[in-house]
Amino acid sequence: MRKGIGMSAPSILSLREVTIRFGGLTAVSGLNLEIGESELVGLIGPNGAGKTTAFNLITGVYAPTEGEIRFAGRPVTAKRPHDLTKLGIARTFQNIRLFSSLTVFDNVRAATQLHRSHGVRMALWRGAAFAAAEAEVERGVMELLEIFDLGRVRDEIATSLPYGDQRRLEIVRALATQPKLLLLDEPAAGMNPTEKAELMRLIRFIKERFKISIMLVEHDMKVVMGICERIAVLEYGKKIGEGTPGEIRKDPKVIAAYLGTE
Amino acid sequence: MFSRSPLSLPTACQGAKRWLIAAVLCSILLSFGQFNRYYLGVAMDVGINIILAVSLNLINGYTGQFSLGHAGFMAVGAYTAAKFSLVFAVAAPEPARPVLFLVALVLGGAVAALSGLAVGIPSLRLKGDYLAIVTLGFGEIIRVIVQNLEAVGAASGLKGIPKYTTLGWTFALASVTVYVVVSLVNSTYGRGFIAVKDDEVAASSMGINPVRYKVTAFVVGAFFAGIAGGLYAHHKQFLAPTGFDFLKSIDIVVMVILGGMGRTASVALAAVVLTLLPEVLRPVSEYRMILYALLIIGLMMARPQGLFAFGRRAVK
Ligand SMILES: Nc1ncnc2c1ncn2[C@@H]1O[C@H](COP(=O)(O)OP(=O)(O)OP(=O)(O)O)[C@@H](O)[C@H]1O
Ligand SMILES: [Mg+2]
Repeated sequence: MRKGIGMSAPSILSLREVTIRFGGLTAVSGLNLEIGESELVGLIGPNGAGKTTAFNLITGVYAPTEGEIRFAGRPVTAKRPHDLTKLGIARTFQNIRLFSSLTVFDNVRAATQLHRSHGVRMALWRGAAFAAAEAEVERGVMELLEIFDLGRVRDEIATSLPYGDQRRLEIVRALATQPKLLLLDEPAAGMNPTEKAELMRLIRFIKERFKISIMLVEHDMKVVMGICERIAVLEYGKKIGEGTPGEIRKDPKVIAAYLGTE
Repeated sequence: MFSRSPLSLPTACQGAKRWLIAAVLCSILLSFGQFNRYYLGVAMDVGINIILAVSLNLINGYTGQFSLGHAGFMAVGAYTAAKFSLVFAVAAPEPARPVLFLVALVLGGAVAALSGLAVGIPSLRLKGDYLAIVTLGFGEIIRVIVQNLEAVGAASGLKGIPKYTTLGWTFALASVTVYVVVSLVNSTYGRGFIAVKDDEVAASSMGINPVRYKVTAFVVGAFFAGIAGGLYAHHKQFLAPTGFDFLKSIDIVVMVILGGMGRTASVALAAVVLTLLPEVLRPVSEYRMILYALLIIGLMMARPQGLFAFGRRAVK
């Protein structure tokens, strides 16, 4: 088994020989990957390389055809997405998937509910315990929104926000599930250079503040090279390289497949 | 219904129960009023339709499923409650009757909820049109079963059901229905229904179990459809299987759509309007159904977002 380079922290996520086939197409093929605790890892590769599919496998949207996925020390292969979220995996989507009829506040609120036990009964009874729990949720959501400067638009419909704000809101919503591992699928897509610089600062900040591991899929090499501690490169579903940004930049295989000669 | 402003969740929580109690008390007071028989009958139809529309709105509006089975759930509740009354309540002493009536209604609701569970679980892998077809099939199966079941009068119908439904019962239970649906949805837990409607994949990635929510919506919705059925049975005093065909389901779906799918207050208002409309059109009875249909088409074209949906906000 190939070990990740520079892996000192215990691993939170590990993929072993993970493969998924859609009919005749092998979208991810024998992928081995380890993510350490509090590590920031990039996943790059050309269009259609299988990056989003890898995220879908890790988050349980698809079950692998072969291979094993372990999270926080336990096997989680083919667990359902909401169960994985409970265990501590959260994500954003390449095509923004906010809840379009909910406000900014409610988008985040909906994501907090798995940590509260007040279900049907409490909502119907509306007693003091319910009011207290809801106040707690509101406090938590507002705190998150304020950190990301979205408190000012709390009552706007989420999908009416500018593009960059929607991307950030998706990150906030994912954080509201209190993850141990956060998967970001092209968070810089559609952002201008200023927003991108801000995003890099934000991702570093999230890592420090929430002490979580982050996996980042991104086409903007400035962003990836600028913040990732380690990078894995996919091509046609296979991992063709892995290492620090410096190593990846010099890797002839990666240059041929993806980076090109600038 | 409750505080529309989301400015503070705890204040939005309080007072809801007080509203419910006030509404139920007012309904009970209504029972003592003297009304023209015709208006009384129409008013009860209104109340029953509010229950049906508001409960279907939880399934079709908030959770974004497409059920055409509401008349089926209503039939299950109607026949269960009516049979219970015919067996137990008619022979019982007078003072026990309101209690037995409540038992009959809740029993009808419970059996309908069970059938909601039975339909809900296998059909939840289906979406949109497919779910509509399965629920439609369910409604038809119920109708055929009832049509052949001697114990409930088969094709000739169930006669002699005691007239227990009053204006008070109807509006008290309509208030309870509105309270339950509004309370469920207006909570952190309840945002899950809307999240599932908006985007199932995103919802499940946020830790929301879509199947759980869909089944809950089906069970709660079916329960109140069953209650409405029980009220209907003890209001009309006669049940015919043909009264619960899929046209009845469509009627309820139209109320939900016209109400804007997912706004309890406007769906209830749409139920009122669509119950009164055929009555208002009575003088032109020959063209009544044509006019009714044209009006609905016109309304939907004029206000596709729902008759009473104002502003941009879909759901608060
Ligand atoms: N559900 C699916 N059914 C069939 N094929 C799929 C499915 N999902 C992904 N694929 C295919 O798998 C391959 C990998 O797709 P994926 O979306 O993972 O690429 P990606 O690396 O994220 O690309 P991009 O950079 O464009 O986002 C593509 O050829 C895609 O068409
Ligand atoms: Mg992708």
